Amino acid sequence: MLATMATSSEEVLLIVKKVRQKKQDGALYLMAERIAWAPEGKDRFTVSHMYADIKCQKISPEGKAKIQLQLVLHTGETTNFHFANDNSAIKERDAVKDLLQQLLPKFKRKANKELEEKNRMLQEDPVLFQLYKDLVVSQVISAEEFWANRLSLNAVDNSSSNNKQDVGISAAFLADVRPQTDGCNGLRYNLTSDIIESIFRTYPAVKQKYAENVPHNMTEKEFWTRFFQSHYFHRDRINTGSKDLFGECAKMDEKGLKTMVGQGVKNPLVDLTSLEDKALEEGYGIFSVPSTSNSFKSIKENSNAAIIKRFNHHSAMVLAAGLRKQEAQNDHCSETSSTDGNSRDSDCFQPPLKKVKLQEAIEYEDLEESNGLKTVALSLKKSDSYWLLQKPQCSFKLYQTNNSFKNVQTSLTCSAFRLKVLSSSAASSAITALSPGGALMRGGIQQAINQMVPNDIQCELKHLYVAAGELLRHFWTCFPVNTPFLEEKLMKMKSNLERFQATKLRPFQEKMQRQYLDKNLTSHLEEMLQTAYNKFHTWQSKRMMKKT
Amino acid sequence: MASDEELSLLVIVVDVNPIWWGQQTLKESQFTLSKCIDAVMVMGNSHLFMSRSNKLAIIASHIQESRFLYPGKNWKSGDFSGETANSLTESNLCGSKDGKYELLTAGNELITEEIRDLMAKNEMRGQQTETLLAGSLAKALCYIYRVNKDLEAGQEMKSRILVIKSADDSALQYMNFMNVIFAAQKQNILIDACILDSDSGLLQQACDITGGLYLKVPQMPSLLQYLLWVFLPDPDQRSQLILPPPVHVDYRAACFCHRNLIEIGYVCSVCLSIFCSFSPICTTCETAFKISLPPVMKAKKKKLKPAT
Repeated sequence: MLATMATSSEEVLLIVKKVRQKKQDGALYLMAERIAWAPEGKDRFTVSHMYADIKCQKISPEGKAKIQLQLVLHTGETTNFHFANDNSAIKERDAVKDLLQQLLPKFKRKANKELEEKNRMLQEDPVLFQLYKDLVVSQVISAEEFWANRLSLNAVDNSSSNNKQDVGISAAFLADVRPQTDGCNGLRYNLTSDIIESIFRTYPAVKQKYAENVPHNMTEKEFWTRFFQSHYFHRDRINTGSKDLFGECAKMDEKGLKTMVGQGVKNPLVDLTSLEDKALEEGYGIFSVPSTSNSFKSIKENSNAAIIKRFNHHSAMVLAAGLRKQEAQNDHCSETSSTDGNSRDSDCFQPPLKKVKLQEAIEYEDLEESNGLKTVALSLKKSDSYWLLQKPQCSFKLYQTNNSFKNVQTSLTCSAFRLKVLSSSAASSAITALSPGGALMRGGIQQAINQMVPNDIQCELKHLYVAAGELLRHFWTCFPVNTPFLEEKLMKMKSNLERFQATKLRPFQEKMQRQYLDKNLTSHLEEMLQTAYNKFHTWQSKRMMKKT
Repeated sequence: MASDEELSLLVIVVDVNPIWWGQQTLKESQFTLSKCIDAVMVMGNSHLFMSRSNKLAIIASHIQESRFLYPGKNWKSGDFSGETANSLTESNLCGSKDGKYELLTAGNELITEEIRDLMAKNEMRGQQTETLLAGSLAKALCYIYRVNKDLEAGQEMKSRILVIKSADDSALQYMNFMNVIFAAQKQNILIDACILDSDSGLLQQACDITGGLYLKVPQMPSLLQYLLWVFLPDPDQRSQLILPPPVHVDYRAACFCHRNLIEIGYVCSVCLSIFCSFSPICTTCETAFKISLPPVMKAKKKKLKPAT
């Protein structure tokens, strides 16, 4: 936000007086490339935003006392402008809004997307963020190198995430347009762009009418007023006079419905036309004498039939709209026909379809024999090697065995009533061996190292490892050095490693020494770095030799 | 509530290889089979003492059979009168002489009787000199399984096997041993090992895989102290105690040609047999293999600098 004067070369597109910002009166200026606001009486702009910085604008809802316009920047900041002119505030605000709507798209920066992408990645992955802080912010490596590998990896991910599922159409969208009484015997319908879109997607006929008539013959508002007034919209569709704009739509709908029914369902085993209310007897449903002449049908039945017909048609159109979108994305010449009333019927595919359906009905995959792949049997000539771990050792010589047997039998003097099984000296020597520090407990102390080192040192060490790993990865991928680019990179990486060691590793080691921590926790890191240096030196000396 | 207590079953498998123990007697060591069985009895009593709901089983692993020392064939826990009289000598069932808990007395008597019987009956048949450890472990697993089936609904049981090993490993039982170990692992049964003489690779693996403790006892006369200190606590309690650290287990495979333990070798891709050196034909499945040698580098001729 720079406080600047309007430069003379800037073209001012719109000036709106009596606009308040942060409870101060002033005037709003829309220039060719930016929007600015100056307090009353002053000629310096206190608020100035380039159109490129603005992400979107928002307006206060209709009916609120305060008429406001809000600008949301890419950085997340918001600026509110309050239009305080008593008479023409709304008009002014709308004028500003329309102008911004036209100007903002021109300035939308494409490069922002990449920046946003990077920010998103850093926010999602705290380890990456820490690595970024360690390496780039402390200037060990440059930001370009850091992002060089990563962005390419994630570009693939992004393209897949763009194919998000489209939001379908709610079947109740027309019902959601709840009319409100206006107070003076009228009705108010609230139409949002979502609802309009749903109507257009479901009823392409209406979309057509809209395209024909707006804005040539009538305004948008008029169009929608006529729409809601027409009988087309209301329950009882009585196709009276063709003066109605939407009478044609009703006729088109009827045609569409007829083709849909004629097309039928893909499944040849289902017969739609035979569905009707069949009553068994009185009390088991509507028992009516089948009437052959239409004129005897009551008016109520007629209107019921009409409503049901319209209901079916509406559902069919909603489904079709969803499928239509999918078809447009997948395949233009897809062979599968949709239930859309306008698509073509594919007669030639009828017989195989029936066969497929019949087969599905009579076969169960689980019950079939499994047709495994033909395999080759393993033939082993000598398989006892698998069973033996070591060479069978006969540890006891034969002469020993016979004697032993006799000895054991005679020596068995165990008794259930023996009192002294263990002597105290034997017990105490065993206890000392088992106590911490004893002969048997040698390996135990090393396990506690993670309890001896404080947590924050452990965290720092982890960060060091991640950072060092990243640098070493860049370093080692340079080998074998084939191109001059790799050579340069190698030299840079070596200096990066040295810088890392100096700026990060040494202070850490000194800190540890100061805290009297005796453990040498960084010996492995140093070893890794030293290996890298050695490799670099050997490569360098080889290069020198080649040159001479 | 007594019924809510978790049952703990300890199965002690004692290696009573008569040849090894006979050697011990010949060497006139202080530690004979009797002393070992005494220690095992005290250990068993202690385990039964830890909780009312604890169960015990002792298996003797001989070179010709594996026999249950405790409980006996007709033994019903707590019921040592009546039916059991048939299988035991009457004279021994005289009740507790020293005020000991009756169950423990009866148990100990049974154990001593059985072991005498076991060592007396068997004579040296054939060339077998190796303990049937794999078989005993399999019997232990079956027993655990059977006790598990007999539990009342809602009772849970944790079991472990303690192996007291004296003689060397038997190489022929390797496969059976590994099967037993994996079966135990699947059933969450710990295998602990207390080694008297020489380290056993198989038991080290068993302890490592099932999560048990492996201990080689440095002094045999103190066996009981080691048993009570290290192997008596339940697996749940072991995490609270400071016990000997686990041993490093040698998992190296042995090559098929020399039976040496190797770290890096050649593996046949058809039959997965391991060799220490390359051979063009695998001996087990007779597949032919070719190996590509590294490209031969031509020696660069160095220009000889003229001597100045």
